[in-house]
Amino acid sequence: MHAPLRQEHTPDPMCCGCGLRPRRITKGNDVLRLAIVALLLLPAVLGLSGCERIQGWFAGKPDIAFAPYGDTYASKPDFAQVEYEHPIPLKELAKVTPKYLAGLEQEQLDQLYARLGSGPIPNGAFDGEIVFPRGSSGKLRAAEIIGGLKGLGVNFKGNLLETAGETLWKGKVFYRDQKVLRNRIQDLTALRPVIGPGDIPKIDVDGKDAWLLFPAKLYCGQSLIDSRRESIIIDYAFTDELHGYRERPDFLAGRRGLKVRDEIRMVRPGLYLGRAYMDHAFILNFVLYNKDLDQAGRAEFEIGQVKDDCWSGTQTRVVASR
Amino acid sequence: MKKLKKSIWIGIFSVSSLALLAWLAQQPETARAILPPASGMVPSTPAAVAADPLSPAMPDAASSYGDAGFREAEAGLSPSARSGREIWFKATAGNARFHTYTFQQRVTALIDWYGVLRGDARDTRFKTWGLINDPGCCKPGADGCPAKSYDETYGFDWCPGDEALLKFVGKPGYRDPACDFKDASAAASDPDGHQTGREDSCNLAFGTSTGALGFRKFPNPRFDAAVWKQVNGRLGTWEGYNRKLSNDPARADHKVRKLADASVEPPFLIGTACASCHVAFNPAKPPADPEHPKWENLSGLVGNQYIRVSEILISGMPHDDLLWQIFAHARPGTSDTSAIPNDQVNNAGTINALINTAQRPTFAGENVNRWRKVAACPAGAKGPDQSAGAACWCEPGKPGKCWEKSVKAETVHHILKGGGDSIGALGAIQRVYFNIGSCAEQCWVNHLTDLRQLDPQARNFGQTPFDIGQCRRDCPNFRAIEDRLPNLLDFFLTAPEGQARDLVEARANQRQAAYAATDLVRDLESHFGKDSVSRGQQVFVANCARCHSSGKPPFETVDFRAIDSKSGLRADWLGNDVPTPVTEIGTYRCRSLHSNHLRGHVWEQFANEEYHARKTVAGILEPHDGGRGYYRNVSLLNLWAHAPFLHNNSVGPELCGWGGDKANPYELYRSSYVDTTKPGNPPLAKDKQPACWQYDPSVEGRFKLYVASMQDLLNPAKRTPKATKVDQDIVLDIGPRIFDGKEEKRLVGFTVRVPAGATAGNVGNFRHKDFIVDLVRAKLKPKEFEARLATVLPASDAKKLAAEMQEIGKAIVSDPDRLVEVVKEARARTPALWQVYSSCSAEIENDGHRFGEDLSDADKNALIAFLATL
Repeated sequence: MHAPLRQEHTPDPMCCGCGLRPRRITKGNDVLRLAIVALLLLPAVLGLSGCERIQGWFAGKPDIAFAPYGDTYASKPDFAQVEYEHPIPLKELAKVTPKYLAGLEQEQLDQLYARLGSGPIPNGAFDGEIVFPRGSSGKLRAAEIIGGLKGLGVNFKGNLLETAGETLWKGKVFYRDQKVLRNRIQDLTALRPVIGPGDIPKIDVDGKDAWLLFPAKLYCGQSLIDSRRESIIIDYAFTDELHGYRERPDFLAGRRGLKVRDEIRMVRPGLYLGRAYMDHAFILNFVLYNKDLDQAGRAEFEIGQVKDDCWSGTQTRVVASR
Repeated sequence: MKKLKKSIWIGIFSVSSLALLAWLAQQPETARAILPPASGMVPSTPAAVAADPLSPAMPDAASSYGDAGFREAEAGLSPSARSGREIWFKATAGNARFHTYTFQQRVTALIDWYGVLRGDARDTRFKTWGLINDPGCCKPGADGCPAKSYDETYGFDWCPGDEALLKFVGKPGYRDPACDFKDASAAASDPDGHQTGREDSCNLAFGTSTGALGFRKFPNPRFDAAVWKQVNGRLGTWEGYNRKLSNDPARADHKVRKLADASVEPPFLIGTACASCHVAFNPAKPPADPEHPKWENLSGLVGNQYIRVSEILISGMPHDDLLWQIFAHARPGTSDTSAIPNDQVNNAGTINALINTAQRPTFAGENVNRWRKVAACPAGAKGPDQSAGAACWCEPGKPGKCWEKSVKAETVHHILKGGGDSIGALGAIQRVYFNIGSCAEQCWVNHLTDLRQLDPQARNFGQTPFDIGQCRRDCPNFRAIEDRLPNLLDFFLTAPEGQARDLVEARANQRQAAYAATDLVRDLESHFGKDSVSRGQQVFVANCARCHSSGKPPFETVDFRAIDSKSGLRADWLGNDVPTPVTEIGTYRCRSLHSNHLRGHVWEQFANEEYHARKTVAGILEPHDGGRGYYRNVSLLNLWAHAPFLHNNSVGPELCGWGGDKANPYELYRSSYVDTTKPGNPPLAKDKQPACWQYDPSVEGRFKLYVASMQDLLNPAKRTPKATKVDQDIVLDIGPRIFDGKEEKRLVGFTVRVPAGATAGNVGNFRHKDFIVDLVRAKLKPKEFEARLATVLPASDAKKLAAEMQEIGKAIVSDPDRLVEVVKEARARTPALWQVYSSCSAEIENDGHRFGEDLSDADKNALIAFLATL
């Protein structure tokens, strides 16, 4: 189920994250623009964190326990044991908000993600938000790492990517029956120089326009962080086989470009937590939200009736306790 | 803009690009199976299968092919050994998911299962891959074969059980043949709950044969016939699925194959049983045609000396790819069993011949921390809950089936080459299943090193320990095997195929006439000299028996041919299994530096306390603490049938399937002969390379190989040095590309080129993660870094290396294209670089074990003659 495609653009200034011109991007530098777009397309972007109306949909901070951990990789607890000792009650998952997720350290996001199942492969349009990895210092993990390289003459500003992402991207649209996903772009004019001429398919989401680019295949596959059950994979590697593929700019995400591969698991119907990888290297987290699906699926979710579409592993999941 | 470019460059450099250096070390191992969600194994009657116009017609079962031969070969076994044999040959314990999904998507190594197992190549499968054909299978269309076309079998052989299995390709509801497994009675000594509560045998996961013994297939319920036809053109081939995408080197994907498209579901999930590596030809009764053996020609325990495990597991990668170049170099019959957990040690080793196990030395009084069967957990014990950290755990729903963990003194074997897997025979057998992928997803993939993970704070930067308690709790396949381990051990201990096969027996069979030990001695002495056999025994006693006898000194009084009255086997195992410092043996040390059994590493729980507490061996350059640095003294039983020699099959002629013709695309042989008189030990000139020996499992073929290998062993000065080399340039374009509508252009990044001729082991053993982390430390905290180096190096070396690392950092940043050269030059200036950042820097693979080189030629011949009789 998705909105019909159109070929027009009607900016919506009321939409958070929409209608903004990209900052710090020189118009003439198509190459750079493409790179940033590609870096961000993965998780489908949007500045949900600034959207109070969305935050208002939720109430109460979830009471989700995390196993203790330290800074070193060896101190990170085994996911199987985290899940056994700290199962997440459904009622707590029901309280999770994008803002809550954005405030977690990366290890907490990892522990949360590992306790989720794939849920059903979604259908329809989702808004998205990037959540960059944060270390125990509270800073972006990339900044922690890269900061250490300053002496080598290097400086990295992650907020550049955030800015560009929030400016250019709106979210993702799932076409479950076709096993295809397309990314939503809010401001086509910013990308036009690198896309070239021609019509771009467009849909209407909640009365707002969104152009569809960067198609991807949808399937059940291996999680690159937690092997114990499958995730829903959003794979751009063979995107050139999909209907509507445009070499420019869709090439960027594919096997000849940045080799983007996303994976998502369901927090609850309508809310998915995702992880974006480039050539199997983890880049960032993202959140996908569809209000209608959230509301429609609540009742079924709260009685534990929402099933995974993907292989759910053999560890007994305890999700309804407490 | 300049600033931004630098930012992106750093992002690439520090996260992605340098991560690709990780690939410089990537090596695989093996794996496990549980069927996809909808499939499940249904322990009930088969589901009705609706007719599908896209599915092929299914053959009926009645034919001359079938499982009867397998059953005949189990005649005479006890019920327990029979059960163990069937598990050994057929049970994948759920590893088909590993070999179909996990290995490809998470480990990122592609397997071209069709390329390896395609039915139309059945007649050359042994030559190419060293695989042993299943006598019960047939090529579709062959006389008497139930399948008439490859469309019916999706390109594979037809095998017993396929009349049922093929109906479930693309559909749920397959009932695994393991559900009908006939369990033997449980050991009466087991607590009642363990006797009555064995895990459902469906979780042994048999599937059916693929046509190659030990390789099993399962119907993929996710298979979509329409998609398959779109990709391949028809059902009976995978040639669209395994095709290379482009031959244009200007394209970034020119090395990629369609196999990488994980959205395409193949018709079968492929699993492996233990027999995949361990089944081979009975040395005393080899087949007339190795491509078409009969069951009487096979042994499930002798070990396959010809299998190209590494090449099979990497068969979906192009030969100029880094993974292929670094990984696919193990000699036939060897396997790098630590490659998938990846300790970054190039250490392929032979598949052990599991013969005369009842006589294998054991070690009493070793302290073993493991789980043991109990009927209940004691009051106050930690547990009996399901916590993996519990000291006692009872399986839910299985009254009286509990396990308690503690340290106790036990009598154990030392199984692995370095003596790891020392928590008892049953535990060692169980770990074989992890080696082949069982419970990978549930229990151990999360504990592995991800070679791309360069953040030392992130998961998978390094290994973490596999937890046996967690795996028992969470993986039913683990329990299905564990509950039947005594059956497997009984198979090892009592099956005729686990008995040594002497040359005298082999020649009698070959000649189909009486041929006694005296005949053998006569023939050997006619070749090796008068009284050579008896003289050879004296030479053996004086020079070899201290390591290669399980008897006790004085060895002059030991009868090496005596039969043990209890087992009926030769009493002497011809090896004492005692761990010996690798510095004493002098052989290629990398295998001894295997680190997966160290504390904090993935197989920690499979080594006993004595292993962990071993004395550190002096004189090894690289890190070698925690139990590393030893080789056990191996058995010389049936040496006549098991050449080439040493743990890596390096001493003796090199073997090949097709005669070494590199123009033949099926020939996987690559020469490892090198010229050590030149800097860098380059490959030996082609006209000076000894020819490889084509596989010849006949009695005389084995004997000739034995003699040549013994001569090589006893004359180390005459050995032509071997070191596996990269035989094509490896070119890594690091950094993203963009497309401007006309051509691909690299946005940022650099190119790493590992030139042909580089030593593959050196590339794979380079610990790039520590290196990268220390590059940063060298810049940011130079004093602290130098102090840390001083804990492993003399102070002057530490100072020099610290300074060198700073220079390396500058050089790489200024010209990343020269990365390989920079490191190489730095290594030449500062050898300590390799000492700190290489897991193993040894190059020559057939060095060492010089014992006996000073013997006279006559005594060497005598020794060869004597050992041929054992």
